[in-house]
Amino acid sequence: MDFAFTKEQLMFKKEIIRFAKKEIVPRVQEHDLKKQFDFEAFRKLGEFGILGLHFPEEYGGSGADVITTVMAGEALGEAGVDGGLTLAYGAHTFLCADTIFSHGTKEQRKKYIPKLASGEWIGCMGLTEPNAGSDVASMATTAEKKGDTYVLNGSKIFITNGPIADVSVVYAKTDPEQKHTGISAFIVDKDTKGFSSGPNLIKMGVSTSQTSELFFNNCEIPAENLLGKEGEGFNMSLQTVEWDRSALLAPFVGAATYMMTRCVDYAKSREQFGRKIGKFQAIKQKIANIRIFGEAARNLVYRIAWCKDQGRPMNHLEAAVAKLFVGDWSLGPANDAVVLFGGYGYCHEYDMERIFRDSRLAPIGGGTSDIQKMIISKLI
Amino acid sequence: MNYDFNDKEFNLFVEIHALIDEFAKNKNLESPDINTSTKNIRQALALLSQTPYLKLGVEKTNDYNGLLTLMGAMEIVAGTSPSLFLSIETSTRIFGRILSTWGSDSQKEKLLNPLLNGQIIGTVGLSEDSMNVDNDPLMTTAAADGDKVKISGHKQYVINGPLADWIAVAGMMDGKNVICLVEKETPGLTIGEKTSTLGYDGVAISRITLNDCTIDSSQVICPKNNKDMLNTLKLWENQILIGASLGLMKTAFESAKDYSKKHKTGGKPIIAYQEVGFKLSDMLTLFQTSQLFAYRAAWTAEADPKNAESLTLCAKVFCTESAEQVASKAMKILGGSGFLSGNPVEAAFRCAQYGQITGTSTEISRVKIGDTALGAMK
Repeated sequence: MDFAFTKEQLMFKKEIIRFAKKEIVPRVQEHDLKKQFDFEAFRKLGEFGILGLHFPEEYGGSGADVITTVMAGEALGEAGVDGGLTLAYGAHTFLCADTIFSHGTKEQRKKYIPKLASGEWIGCMGLTEPNAGSDVASMATTAEKKGDTYVLNGSKIFITNGPIADVSVVYAKTDPEQKHTGISAFIVDKDTKGFSSGPNLIKMGVSTSQTSELFFNNCEIPAENLLGKEGEGFNMSLQTVEWDRSALLAPFVGAATYMMTRCVDYAKSREQFGRKIGKFQAIKQKIANIRIFGEAARNLVYRIAWCKDQGRPMNHLEAAVAKLFVGDWSLGPANDAVVLFGGYGYCHEYDMERIFRDSRLAPIGGGTSDIQKMIISKLI
Repeated sequence: MNYDFNDKEFNLFVEIHALIDEFAKNKNLESPDINTSTKNIRQALALLSQTPYLKLGVEKTNDYNGLLTLMGAMEIVAGTSPSLFLSIETSTRIFGRILSTWGSDSQKEKLLNPLLNGQIIGTVGLSEDSMNVDNDPLMTTAAADGDKVKISGHKQYVINGPLADWIAVAGMMDGKNVICLVEKETPGLTIGEKTSTLGYDGVAISRITLNDCTIDSSQVICPKNNKDMLNTLKLWENQILIGASLGLMKTAFESAKDYSKKHKTGGKPIIAYQEVGFKLSDMLTLFQTSQLFAYRAAWTAEADPKNAESLTLCAKVFCTESAEQVASKAMKILGGSGFLSGNPVEAAFRCAQYGQITGTSTEISRVKIGDTALGAMK
């Protein structure tokens, strides 16, 4: 066992934190308050190379390994980038672009990956439906083969980047009689006739990410937009879980470090009863709780990343453990951070309340904590 | 980065598991009877000395990663018997590391070799009456008297106290922290009766009193980095308690899992009910998270010592509190049978309380973790 990062990885992390603090963080609070997507920040992520970090250079990426890629997510959280932007980045890069890269043809890769890696195009992924959440196999969206086209009908919900995406990876039933094996994946461009997205759903947290429904009304796409083969869609969606349990969880780990840093700064400056509040044991306990959570979560997230780098098939038990821990155990530290700031923690001016709201997605998005418990209890 | 133990380590774990499992058969390793526990510990030490286990973290061992390998192995021994584990570790990893880290060559030759060969039992006397070693200086004193040294003071909660061959007594001499190596029958040393405790029934814990207890000056250890001596001893103690917590969680989780698959209600095993399955999921999540935390803390102790104390405290808080939660959930899954004395889950639940109050208590740990984060503050 060896828990050391390379010097290059650590330097890269510092660079991302420096970049994010300068170029993105100053814009976060305003966009969060207005519940607006920060297109400029997203473009800057693309320019810096973060959106396509793990793709090969020939597709506009940097060829980074999984650990470095996960580290980028942690660095964004550590810098203070909001959960909305990191979620948008995650959905774009890992749920959309990576699915095209991993399962697409050479032509599909060439057409989409460079533009997604640069941030010129924004991607999303449509899996969840109004009546098919964790029970994916019950999805009702269909894709009927007609000549050299597929015709999609149905709708998706809670789609991150839905209202702003240029390209969507959409899962639909090519064989409605089958359960998981009847699901296929398709690429749908935003201007396709019969395709539309709903208005941004107003959410509790991750407010800068834009979330909506997607509608398919006799939406006709070329047959060449099928990803892989018919019936392979469910397995493709499962493969994104590795990223979901590492790169998409990494910003939560970084956010714990950010919370701790902010709490320490505040505790060192705020005075009550004639002394800095950092002198009080109750404050130290809260700071300790935040650090303990961050350190514990970090190990789980990087374990998934390291296994992926080794080319191992995903360990569903370990992945579910990581997701469950970050989801359910992040509430306490986030709450501690808000309470440590007192009234200021409850106000938008200080970003602890935003982080608290953002953190509430962790036990819900990408498979609820209850679903993780179902997976774990079945596997043991 | 590498999240796997290597083949050598894995084989060692298998070997230790087989040895200790076989040893535990038909024995009550949690027996409160002092003669039984003395016999058990001596036999177990002799057995484990056939493997590299006792040397891990004490002496350099080729092919193994010191404390990291040790943490993996600790879980196995602690999972078999928490009491046996605590006695062995106090002897080997605290008394042994005092010798290997600060002892002279002659002290090592005289005591360390027999210790690692499983021939003697050691312990340490650190905690004192009405004092907190985190804040106050030691009250036990050692004073030179020619080529002898006289020690006076009281020590409480001395693990292995009634059965140890040698005791490392922490005290002050000429304003400095020192450790005095005291043999069990030295005049002036009084060993108290075994104390009755909530958990760790098989561990002999007692007070000791030193009243002008006279030893040869060659038996005094003056650690070079004198001011850090108490912190170092606490660090070693915390590492043991982390390992103990892993063992307790392993026992509680495995017992509850097995029970939930065998015990049926409503015509199906209780694991099929979400109320049980979800509890097991939480337990496994805490257990796996604790394992990784423990491994990284152990790795950091050798790879990045200046950050080891704080990270170890983080791991100690997490692992010991998780052990209590896991044992508590296991009790609920086992229902009435978990409440019966002698059930390993019931024992794990009681033992789990100890980890949080000893070493650096979880409360003091959090304060220290906070202090580290806050740094120097006016």
